[in-house]
Amino acid sequence: MKRKGRIIYHVDMNSFYASVEMAYRPELKGKPVAIAGNPEERRGIVVTSSYEARAKGVKTTMPLWQAYDHYPELIVLKPNFDRYREASRSMFSILSKFTPIVQPVSIDEGYMDVTDYVGNRNPVELAKSIQKRILDELDLPSSIGIAPNKFLAKMASNMKKPLGITVLRKREIKDKLWNLPIGEMYGVGQKTEEKLRKIDIETIGNLAQKDVLTLKNLLGINGERLHQRANGIDDRPVDPDAVNEFKSIGNSTTLPYDMTDQTEINKVFMQLSEKVAARMDRKGVVSENIQIMIRYHDRKTITRSKQLTQFVETTNEIVTIAKQLFQQHWNEEPIRLLGVTAQHLTPKDEMAKQLDLFNYEKDAEKEELYLAVDKIKEKYGKDAFIKPKDHQAELNTSFQKDFLNEYKEK
Amino acid sequence: MKILIEREPLMASIQNVMKAISSKTTIPILSGIKFEANEQEVKLTGSNSDITIESVISREEDGIVNIHEIIPGQIVVQAKFLPEIIRKLPDNQIEIQVDDDMNINIRSGHAEFKLNGQDPEEYPQLPVLQTENSFDIQIDLLKMLIRQTNFAVSTSETRPILTGVHIKLDNNELGLVATDSHRLASRKITIDQVENLSFNNVVIPGKSLSELNKILEDTQDTLQISVTDNQILFRTKHLYFLSRLLDGNYPETSRLIPDQSKTVMKVNSKDLIQSIDRASLLAKDNRNNIVKLVTQGQQNIQITSHSPEIGQVEELLQTISIEGEEIKISFNAKYMIDALRAIDSEQVLINFTGAMRPFVIRPEEESEQILQLVTPVRTY
Repeated sequence: MKRKGRIIYHVDMNSFYASVEMAYRPELKGKPVAIAGNPEERRGIVVTSSYEARAKGVKTTMPLWQAYDHYPELIVLKPNFDRYREASRSMFSILSKFTPIVQPVSIDEGYMDVTDYVGNRNPVELAKSIQKRILDELDLPSSIGIAPNKFLAKMASNMKKPLGITVLRKREIKDKLWNLPIGEMYGVGQKTEEKLRKIDIETIGNLAQKDVLTLKNLLGINGERLHQRANGIDDRPVDPDAVNEFKSIGNSTTLPYDMTDQTEINKVFMQLSEKVAARMDRKGVVSENIQIMIRYHDRKTITRSKQLTQFVETTNEIVTIAKQLFQQHWNEEPIRLLGVTAQHLTPKDEMAKQLDLFNYEKDAEKEELYLAVDKIKEKYGKDAFIKPKDHQAELNTSFQKDFLNEYKEK
Repeated sequence: MKILIEREPLMASIQNVMKAISSKTTIPILSGIKFEANEQEVKLTGSNSDITIESVISREEDGIVNIHEIIPGQIVVQAKFLPEIIRKLPDNQIEIQVDDDMNINIRSGHAEFKLNGQDPEEYPQLPVLQTENSFDIQIDLLKMLIRQTNFAVSTSETRPILTGVHIKLDNNELGLVATDSHRLASRKITIDQVENLSFNNVVIPGKSLSELNKILEDTQDTLQISVTDNQILFRTKHLYFLSRLLDGNYPETSRLIPDQSKTVMKVNSKDLIQSIDRASLLAKDNRNNIVKLVTQGQQNIQITSHSPEIGQVEELLQTISIEGEEIKISFNAKYMIDALRAIDSEQVLINFTGAMRPFVIRPEEESEQILQLVTPVRTY
């Protein structure tokens, strides 16, 4: 069964560092608190501040002396990054209990795709329970934007702070989005803002109604993208893999029964390698180190990896190495779980492949095609080619797994 | 055993056999050098599982006395300290004496070293090579053949057979081929008086050849090469160099060499080497040391390279001529420079057949039977 649209949350922690400090030291609550490098020296700048401090005119990146000018009683704390990382992990761990499709964007914000997990619940109620849980368990305030895509969700979470929940439907963009000044649009930086203002685009609405060609000439491919966003169109998926960008891609599976049969085991390796290869393809990366994991019936677990001299990307390449490793390291005891991980990943566009004398024909055959593709890319930008994908099918693979493991292991 | 010997020939011999001695040997006795003295000469032997080197010092040669005194005998001496000891002895004459308990006494001037020896009976018997398959070659020529091919052997054990140089003798033609599957070096020469001799699929480990090349002096003396199924022997007057051969079938490489081309470039090789060398200053930082070559019209080529973090370099080079289609090709700078250096000709011809196909580099004078093949890098 397919839904009409997606339901995306953007969860944004409110003045995160300051809130974490307040959670540690409740006596600070309700007070103007700023986090800054070198509070003693007055030379530091404000990294973040509580809403109370903001109310007094303290702003992020403001030099400390200036902040003191605004408000002499300002409480300034040194940043405590370990504390923030820890809080961030706990926060994402909570989010991942609601849906595995969580994409952390930074230490204090992330997207969730709850389309398939919201069930019969009201999306606003679900968001409230998420917000409440973060507040109850971690004592941290957050704002959540609810929308059919990432861009609108991001814009929505910004509309009401702290502890806001804002729904931004596509049909509401004229009323809620278009009147905002162009500089507030996510994706429009200072430079872009200047350029847009020069052609009299003052609001997001102006941008939405401008013709695409003008924007494309002004900003290139990005102009078209911004135009779409301003019209509420954004089809980027929430991608849990983005969190471990280019570190590793792995899949593992617990076997239905403890296995010793080589043929069965090879089948499992084939399936796992297929998944890994598909995910690598989706991320546009290649690997030069393949690792396998074997967990035996007694839960004893080993990982073994092989450093390669050539990049690998296809199922066949991966499964061959995985099986080799398995042959070398299996002690013939029954196996409960198997895993395959591609490590040392490199984005394809940064890499080059040394062709092999004995099999260069495989690449050479497609030379004409590559030449044509290059020409088109030169003309229309790198995103001119996207492989067609079935979004539903993606959700069924366990591609979120390693991301989630990071939180589950805690 | 007792010998009174001149330092210089002894030192040279020790250094030769040391090339075969590995500090990581699993057979303890092979960490030593075997000394064998008879009335006429002293023979030193060093060995590991791949190569065995014997170096002979004659009592007297060309009117120069090397050894003043010999009482025949044998001993195995720990190799680790020997070269330094001999080098630092105060006098140019060295006396080495071994007693019945295998204690070694090395004396020179007022210095005296007492070393523990090992039983020569325990030293492995070296195989005696029985073969009719022998031919002679001039040493400096052999050294050149090694230099022109051996650099292209594979250093990775993924395909062990490619870590060796393939040699083939047929119809008076000796051919050497080495490839690491990314580039290939091939060299042929004509050899006289070997009408009845032919062999194929003889693959010598690249390491053996580079050690051999270090030991052999660049002279016009001849050296005898004998080949059996699993070993090859290089023999000069004073030197035995025995190497194991690699097991397995060397891939058929002649089919890899393109017989047609779409672009033919004639270029001064020194200019090209220097230009690519400059470009690779930045390229060394990227994975494959990639340099890009783009033809511009009938005369010029552009050599470029870039490294995302560092910057880029661009250079225009005038060639002697370019014929055929335009080409844009990327390759590993090291492979190209290695190939051009091996050819060692003032001008080279480079034949391209497309950006994803290997290109052939040959000296401009066609009589030279040398060919270098380089596979390009595909950039995404």
